[in-house]
Amino acid sequence: MKRGFKQLLESVVKIDVREVAFEAGTKRFTGGIGSGVILSADGLVLTNAHVASPRAVEINVTLANLERVSAKLVGWDHWTDLALLRIDLVEVKRRSLKFSHADLGESGKLFPGQEVFAVGTPHGLTRTVTRGIISNNNRYFEDTRGVNGYETGTFNTWLQTDAAINPGNSGGPLVTNDGKVIGISSRTYLGANNLGFAIPSSTAQRVVAGMLREGGGITRSYIGIVPKELQDLENFYSLALNTGMLINSVEPGSPAAKAGLRSGDILLTLNGASIDGRFPEQLPPIQNLIANQPVGASLKLTVKRGTETRDYAVVTEKLESRVGEEWALEKWGLSVRKVSRAYARENQLDDASGVVVIGVQPGFPAAAAGVSRGDIITKINDQLVLSLDVIKAAQAAYETKPEPTLFEVQRNRRVSLYILKP
Amino acid sequence: MTFRLLFFAAFLLAPAALRAAADLPALWAERVKCVVSVEYVTETETERRPTISMGTVIDTRGTIIIPSGAIDPRAATWQLKDFKVYLPGDAASSPAEYLGQDAFSGWHFVRAGETTRAKLTPVTVFAGQGASPVPALAEFVWGIGLRNKDEDFAPYIMQSHVALIQSLPQRTAIAQHEVAGPGLPVFNRDGVLIGIAATSFGQSFLQFSRRNRGDPVLLVNVEESSAFMLAEEILPNLGRIPKHVSGRPLAWLGAYGLEPMDRDVAKFLKLEAQSGAVVSEVLEGSPAEKAGLKDRDIILALDGKPLPSLKPERVVVTWLEREIDRRVPGDTFALTVLRGSARVELKAVLGEEPKLLREADRKYYDRLGFTAREFVYGDAIERRVKAAEPSGVVAHFVKPSSPAAIAGLRQDDWIKEIDGAEATSFTVVAAKLAEIETDQARAEFVLLVSRSGETAVLRIKLK
Repeated sequence: MKRGFKQLLESVVKIDVREVAFEAGTKRFTGGIGSGVILSADGLVLTNAHVASPRAVEINVTLANLERVSAKLVGWDHWTDLALLRIDLVEVKRRSLKFSHADLGESGKLFPGQEVFAVGTPHGLTRTVTRGIISNNNRYFEDTRGVNGYETGTFNTWLQTDAAINPGNSGGPLVTNDGKVIGISSRTYLGANNLGFAIPSSTAQRVVAGMLREGGGITRSYIGIVPKELQDLENFYSLALNTGMLINSVEPGSPAAKAGLRSGDILLTLNGASIDGRFPEQLPPIQNLIANQPVGASLKLTVKRGTETRDYAVVTEKLESRVGEEWALEKWGLSVRKVSRAYARENQLDDASGVVVIGVQPGFPAAAAGVSRGDIITKINDQLVLSLDVIKAAQAAYETKPEPTLFEVQRNRRVSLYILKP
Repeated sequence: MTFRLLFFAAFLLAPAALRAAADLPALWAERVKCVVSVEYVTETETERRPTISMGTVIDTRGTIIIPSGAIDPRAATWQLKDFKVYLPGDAASSPAEYLGQDAFSGWHFVRAGETTRAKLTPVTVFAGQGASPVPALAEFVWGIGLRNKDEDFAPYIMQSHVALIQSLPQRTAIAQHEVAGPGLPVFNRDGVLIGIAATSFGQSFLQFSRRNRGDPVLLVNVEESSAFMLAEEILPNLGRIPKHVSGRPLAWLGAYGLEPMDRDVAKFLKLEAQSGAVVSEVLEGSPAEKAGLKDRDIILALDGKPLPSLKPERVVVTWLEREIDRRVPGDTFALTVLRGSARVELKAVLGEEPKLLREADRKYYDRLGFTAREFVYGDAIERRVKAAEPSGVVAHFVKPSSPAAIAGLRQDDWIKEIDGAEATSFTVVAAKLAEIETDQARAEFVLLVSRSGETAVLRIKLK
């Protein structure tokens, strides 16, 4: 083993997270364990977005020397399943704690068959090293609910490895034998053996830089096209090989839809750069190309429809998750989530107003009135629910003076009225 | 003394007991002639599905009513074939004719062939004089059941007592036990018709097994029912035999998603004990829209008559829907609605219901492996698009393992383009698909389909 590997081992941490969950009509606290790797002398720790999220109320990091220190979330990006923590440096100084840090390697140079090691805390077993090889260095898959219900995998491909990755390994580094971090172990196939997946360091590098630059999340642009590989369809669309990408779907109400794009169109160029989406593995870079445009920029898309080719101007929007902000209104026994634009589009709602009910507590006013999971609360008394603040304020008013409160609720397309009473 | 008293008691009781024992079988023997079993076949793209249900004879022309649930509402009338009538306890069948469904009562009407008619007795013969009798609570009631086909539909008697009478919104009696086969008549002690059994209600049970300790299950008895609609709901509607097998004309208002308003909401809106129904959406181009009805209006009264307070609250919606179904296109009726805090009076002229799914044109392409169906008004509603600009067709059926199925086409997919050309109408699509199907040289074609708001390009390989 090289010296770098030992240094790496001293940079891997166990992460204990206590987070709040809103699902059951009340706030509940749950705990989880993951892994992470220290990236810098000033205590930045890289881990998975599904290990530490903005819902975390307490994060503790166990260093390689078994000392435990608190940490804070400083960046979160569910699209690439990455999160960035910072160790409490004041505490580190006060207790004179020592830690090492690891370097990112170049995931682009990996080849299938190359030996790699996964380091982490599987099932809470700290500092576990497992060995394997890179099974595939360019695996594509998207998961619309992959990170605790959030979308993931749209903007990156994955490294596949047969190094044993188990629950708790999440967020830990996948490294070469010189101790360079070439990936962040994220997931496995349940019920399969030795099919583990890691986010490549090339993605991590980009995302970490973005998080530090933007001070939190990553801003991406959105135009509302769902791409699909052209594989086998070139003849049908009379295209030369390796040209264009199929627009499989255009999200209703999205910038692309407003610009007049339709599903079945072929995207040939974007701002003059030619597009090649012949294979699924080629789609994440194209998605990134769109995402990296400034929000509000006008993009020129050259599109082929039938025999005609013409340009469309599409103005980008900020990319949003389908999952909106959540809250629990405990007096009513009601958990809600803000309707996001993406959720509204997906469910063909007229606009993004209202909150979705994600849970009710039996025996509490909301459940007693007949409100149930999946309902969208659109109006309270005479007030449209345009934000979470509206419903929070309504509950605060109810708390000071409990009075029957009228809810207008939409379920599928049916509108019902309910009274929540003390 | 003891001897005399006993003798006296026996003298008093004997005639009643004797009468009960003697004439119920006689009443049964007469009334069993007004029930039949009806069998028909639903012909689909790849199979013939037989269905058997029970029916009651309502007139001397051999007209029979069977319950609404006896026929799948998705099936086109031309798919319903080979209607047959079986007399109770008789293996022989005779052909019958399907007359269509009445929207108001929900019944399907079937007519037995001439030869069979002589053997049937209309149930109206036993209707009694004057107003239809309403059974009292705990009153003895009895009815007829029919065994399955393998037992030649052997008739048998069932007896019970009335436990409860409710408006659902039809006046419905619920007996303690099963009292008749669904769709078959129920009589009182004197043999007078007091109702026809409805589809039975589900009953909750806990199911215990070695592994599970009390899983709740809902059981529905499909052969026997303990609920029956009272004769006063039945007899006035027996004349509603559809003039056409389609069941048209059908009255249409176009107020979508009616939801009941509960007592707490009424009180909050200062309507006190008033019942009401919230209109979720007013459909475009509908009579409701023309009348000026708006989304989220609360309907309070019909023709000046307040909506009844019924339990469970959902029933008021059925009541309202039945008030529309009872009428015919062209009828005018007045609606009183609450809009915000104002009461608004509206006048609606009912229209004709747009083409229904079961009436839509369709065609099956065996080589491609799917049925294309015309896109109708209901499809537009379901997919939340403007009904005025419908295009495309719907995949009504996809044959398993067919080229279409392998390419990923699924039932209810909305086909918007074929080979890059817009699917403007059913006729255009039908011609195009027929051309593809007959072209043996054709190796593949491409569909653009939409499924729950998302579209996909499907490549169907024929070779």
